[in-house]
Amino acid sequence: MKKKTNISDKALELINQQKLKPIPRWEFVVKSWGLWMGFGASLVLLALGIGISWFGLAGNIIVPHLWLLVAIVFVVLAYFMFEKTKRAYRFEKWRIFIFILVVGLVVGGVVFRVGIASRIDRKLESDIPYYRQIVPMKMEVWSRPEMGYLSGVITKVADEDSFEIRDFEGSLWNVDSQDSLIRGRAVIETGEEIKLIGKRTGKNQFKAEEVRPWSGGRN
Amino acid sequence: MIDQNCQNQDDNQLVALSLNDSQYFYCLMKRYEDKLTNYVRRISYLADDDIADIVQESFIKAYEHLNDCDCDLKFSSWLYRIVHNQTINFMKKHKQSIKMDLENDEEFVDWLVADTNIEKETIRQHFNENIQSILQKLRPDYKEVLVLRFFEDKDYTEISDILRKPMGTVATLLSRAKIQFKILYEKENKY
Repeated sequence: MKKKTNISDKALELINQQKLKPIPRWEFVVKSWGLWMGFGASLVLLALGIGISWFGLAGNIIVPHLWLLVAIVFVVLAYFMFEKTKRAYRFEKWRIFIFILVVGLVVGGVVFRVGIASRIDRKLESDIPYYRQIVPMKMEVWSRPEMGYLSGVITKVADEDSFEIRDFEGSLWNVDSQDSLIRGRAVIETGEEIKLIGKRTGKNQFKAEEVRPWSGGRN
Repeated sequence: MIDQNCQNQDDNQLVALSLNDSQYFYCLMKRYEDKLTNYVRRISYLADDDIADIVQESFIKAYEHLNDCDCDLKFSSWLYRIVHNQTINFMKKHKQSIKMDLENDEEFVDWLVADTNIEKETIRQHFNENIQSILQKLRPDYKEVLVLRFFEDKDYTEISDILRKPMGTVATLLSRAKIQFKILYEKENKY
């Protein structure tokens, strides 16, 4: 009779010969904790990315490219971290993505609403050189009269061709709006926030070629 | 002495004892050796020596990772998962695809009969030539779930735990396996 290969005997022999031992439990616990903390950290950073992007898109930053990229990177990272956890396989991939996005949007919304986003933006501006160049504030871009960009609040409307504005640094400007293109929702009325494209014609004089509403683009 | 103790212990109890004494792990290996050998044979069509190597390596790996054994799962599901992965890795390394070596199983035949309109007698009669060759042509992920469901008698939860796929996906794969089987069968039996 052919001798049956005894796999269990051979395996036990190998275990004893090589003095193999089970890997200590703490190694698996550390790995598991690491993955969950990584997932949690990714969610937090995703929420920050979304919160600050929201802050930007609400009219404060030109285009928050950096923060949108941060949000995308951490969506992907959060997904990969979660996928490596023990129970992740029980969930369809799309459900995991939706969950991560929903958490990011909800917490990101809170980050934006309670002012954390703006505080972080200001803190980064003060601590990191060149931050503002990478994430330019709308206000700064539209406050360069020597380059033909001026913005502020209308303080007085003299007539249909001229008005006065106070820029965001507090200076008063006389604006010549004769033949200016008034875009979309822009309204020339006291109290309105507007931005102008044109040319500086004097110390506090500005010839406007285009008048736009402060919020939004051309419309 | 240990053999007698083993018979009265369930898998989780034996796992706990094995952490301190490898002899108890021997009991677990004896308990699963035949089942796992048959499982590897069913999904791989490999030579006996290769099958033995795969199962042996799986046992070693399982022993080393005993502390990672997920107590919420059945131990058998966890062990099957290790064996499954070792088999797939072996076949990838030797550039082989999953081939099935299946016996004529009543439950499997009934499953095929339902919704495929193929008569039971036809399936039984032609199982070893026709049906086997059609099964070989199925996608690898379809073959995997078929073997586990009908030849290893695993339920959906166990299959989900072994293959690390959601239960919904397991159900979908089984359903699609049947559809693909029907298409291939009709193609092969067109006169």
